[in-house]
Amino acid sequence: MEIFERFNGHRSGGGTEIAILSHGFGTDQTAWNALRPWFEERFDVISFDLAGCGPQGAATYDFDRHGSLFGYADDLLDIIDELGVSNCTYVSHSMSGMIGAVASIARPDAFKRLVMIGASPRYLDEDGYVGGFKAENLEQLFDSMSANYQAFVAGFAPGVVGVDNSEVVADFSNTLFQMRPDIALNTSRTIFNSDVRGLVAQVSRPVHVVQTAVDMAVPVEVGQWLASHLPDATLDIIDASGHLPHMTAPREVIEILQRRLAGSAA
Amino acid sequence: MSTFDDAALTGLCQFARLATEADLTMAIEIEADGTSVWAASAPALSNARFNLARSGLTSHAWSGEPVDGAAFRLPTAIVQVLGGPASKVLYIPAPSHGAPLSGLLLLWRNNVPQARGIAQLPLLAQSVARLLTARREAAREVIVTNQFVDLVESVPAGIVLIDGDGAGTVVNERAAALLGCTAGRHRAAELAGPMRALRQRCDNHDELDAAYAERMKDVDFAVTLNWVMGERTFEVDTHPVRGNGEYGRIWLFTDVTADLLMAAELRRLAASDPLTGVPNRRHFEERSAQIIAAREATGRSVAVLMLDVDHFKKINDTHGHPVGDEVLKVVAKRCRDALRDRDLFARFGGEEFIALLAAPSADEVPVTAERLRSAIASAPINVDGVRVDVTVSVGGAIGEALPDGETALLDGLIARADEALYAAKAAGRNRVTISD
Repeated sequence: MEIFERFNGHRSGGGTEIAILSHGFGTDQTAWNALRPWFEERFDVISFDLAGCGPQGAATYDFDRHGSLFGYADDLLDIIDELGVSNCTYVSHSMSGMIGAVASIARPDAFKRLVMIGASPRYLDEDGYVGGFKAENLEQLFDSMSANYQAFVAGFAPGVVGVDNSEVVADFSNTLFQMRPDIALNTSRTIFNSDVRGLVAQVSRPVHVVQTAVDMAVPVEVGQWLASHLPDATLDIIDASGHLPHMTAPREVIEILQRRLAGSAA
Repeated sequence: MSTFDDAALTGLCQFARLATEADLTMAIEIEADGTSVWAASAPALSNARFNLARSGLTSHAWSGEPVDGAAFRLPTAIVQVLGGPASKVLYIPAPSHGAPLSGLLLLWRNNVPQARGIAQLPLLAQSVARLLTARREAAREVIVTNQFVDLVESVPAGIVLIDGDGAGTVVNERAAALLGCTAGRHRAAELAGPMRALRQRCDNHDELDAAYAERMKDVDFAVTLNWVMGERTFEVDTHPVRGNGEYGRIWLFTDVTADLLMAAELRRLAASDPLTGVPNRRHFEERSAQIIAAREATGRSVAVLMLDVDHFKKINDTHGHPVGDEVLKVVAKRCRDALRDRDLFARFGGEEFIALLAAPSADEVPVTAERLRSAIASAPINVDGVRVDVTVSVGGAIGEALPDGETALLDGLIARADEALYAAKAAGRNRVTISD
């Protein structure tokens, strides 16, 4: 349990089928609080904090290893191996979407299916591809992050939450502040410079793509791109705003999970 | 600085891949803790960092035969190149110096391992190890060189380092700016000209040339000399590397202009009166002794003039001490201006000033004394709109600085000038009296 504990792992729930909940940038596993009861009724629920995130984040982060999403995918597989997980339902938000995709390519047997909420294989625009960001916007983002992290969070958090929900803005701000600023900066560079579009076609497991209609970090076009390039995918677009629907619109997300995961455990 | 060409390792990977029909071949440099620090591969791999400690790869007892891939936990950065888990894995350990777990990794996913090619692999292991070791050393050399450059540039001095064989030199940025060349490596012959030109630009180049010419006969010579270039002075320290000229020679150029100015300023502060800025009594006595000693050889005369502000206490009482202080400053300035540059002038104490006239002619002494008196009396002193009429009384004395003259000449002159001053005061002030 050494690795699981290092990543602040939690396991709960009454089901037999394993669900792994993996959070996104700027949050920690508490982001799943609204969905967790639903999962606990149906699954053996595993959650943890990504490297660099959560209260122990600074101890788990390695500037070399986590300079690419592959380092995070290796962390995920380390946990999966340590806990003997196979055939799991992997539920992810934001950056964890592509982390799961990479891990599932390396170890398909560990995954039954993947849920990706607000996932993106590439954030930068390119001819024929809408990622939502331009290189110069990103440089401004990184500059403001390194210049004054407090001020950055104050401006960034409401934009990402995307709806007038002061409680979620406060929670998201708190978990952002929990990150060491240099780690937050490096993590966001890793995310925003990532491009794993070439790997998407190798994902052999079913993927359920979920996102909102208006998301500052991930435009609808990205969800559509993923759903059409993944070999086996569904797409659900929630008629709401914001990058954190599992926090701001949990009922809508549960309704989708209920429908997509129906059958076996759910 | 040498750089490493990784084309050889990449070529080797390509060859091994062709021979064995592996889907991926990598030469990986792996440190003792399992951290991969570098890899060459065929096909090419984006440079991700990973750790192989838990992969099972480095702990397996390899016999040169591919084994089932399911037994290993390979980093996702590697597997993604294959497009899925490896069916067969083969690792050929090739421990390199400093990275003992290094080796050649071959992975098959779709293809079938070719036995004939695999049999050749152990022959490649030594080449892989040698190339990885060479790469690591090249990388280390770059780091050491960079550290050396950082160190050399962090020293607040110009540095010229001449190799032991006398052929190569290293010049840091400060030295490059002085010499008018670029920082970095130069052939020693290229630098001889700029070094000579810099010395020729010095105000004291004759002196420097002579000093170096004499010492350069000794290959181990060490000397520190000041190179004076107009307003700037460089302390130039040259010494052999580790005390032996055969190892090379170091030239250090330190700009000591600010230090010298500071020292001069400290000396001036120690010698001058803080209120009026003219020399103080201690400085006057030291300098007078020197001047008189110099005059003794020629047997020429010396004169002392004592000067006292009339009714100074009344000025203070009427206008206050700040005005009194201002009056003393103006008196000192007018007197200094009325004297020749070579005359010594100092504040003797209170409202009393003293002048030493070197080698005056007989009638010059009363004329100078009168010039001082009238410099003060001719115009009132204006302090912040307050008009103060000020006069001074002057007493003078002349003596001969003879070779066998008494050593207490100055004390005698001061005593006689003081008496004359007293007489001038008694006679009604604002006048000059010269002792007989």
